[in-house]
Amino acid sequence: MRKTDIILSGSPTLKIVLTAVALAAMGGLFFVFDPLKAGFFPRCPFNMLTGLYCPGCGTQRAIHALVHGHLLQAAGYNLLSVLALPLVGYSAVAFAGSHLWGLPLRQDIFYRPWFAKGILGTVLLFWVLRNLPFPCFQWMAP
Amino acid sequence: MEPTPLQTGAMPLPRPRNWLVESILVTIFCCLPFGIAGIVFASQVNAKYDVGDYQGAQRASRDARRWTLIGLAVGGGWVVIILLFVLASSIFMIPTPFWH
Repeated sequence: MRKTDIILSGSPTLKIVLTAVALAAMGGLFFVFDPLKAGFFPRCPFNMLTGLYCPGCGTQRAIHALVHGHLLQAAGYNLLSVLALPLVGYSAVAFAGSHLWGLPLRQDIFYRPWFAKGILGTVLLFWVLRNLPFPCFQWMAP
Repeated sequence: MEPTPLQTGAMPLPRPRNWLVESILVTIFCCLPFGIAGIVFASQVNAKYDVGDYQGAQRASRDARRWTLIGLAVGGGWVVIILLFVLASSIFMIPTPFWH
């Protein structure tokens, strides 16, 4: 067993507690500070090197908008992170719910081959489209 | 041609973790292609398991895990580097070179 396996296969309850604490801390950080104004939020290295946008560019500004309740503004900064929110949220709730309270929440959808391929296609398409210089795709750029 | 399922007794090997959700998170939060590599291998885990290629699925699972963790480490390292730069520039009163 590798070292990372020991950490990753730790007790589910510990994982849930640590994730909840980290989420609350990050949510607070992004609520108080605006990535556009505060100087300490890291800029995307891909964007620094190439000048192009990666699929994750704009996520920090999107989170700031989200924790202030501005869903549309968040989607304007990074559509993908807003679309991923229900998926990741469901996965987290299913994990916590089934481990803590034995709820019958399954994660089968993440194991369907078409689903993973669809995610891959969506990410790649978004990556290309948000970099195209045409006005009709401008709304995808952060 | 469909690969022959491996005969490992009565039961097939359990479906390995595919790291799909973790790869998505790395793709959205770290700005590097590692998360996308993770998603590619995540979809291979599912596809290979469903045609009975259990060993192939486990290999893909290990690769998905590797790329997800590399993405996480690089992203975390990047945040630490930026914070050190910010700290240094505020101590020496010079502007950070990163912001427009």
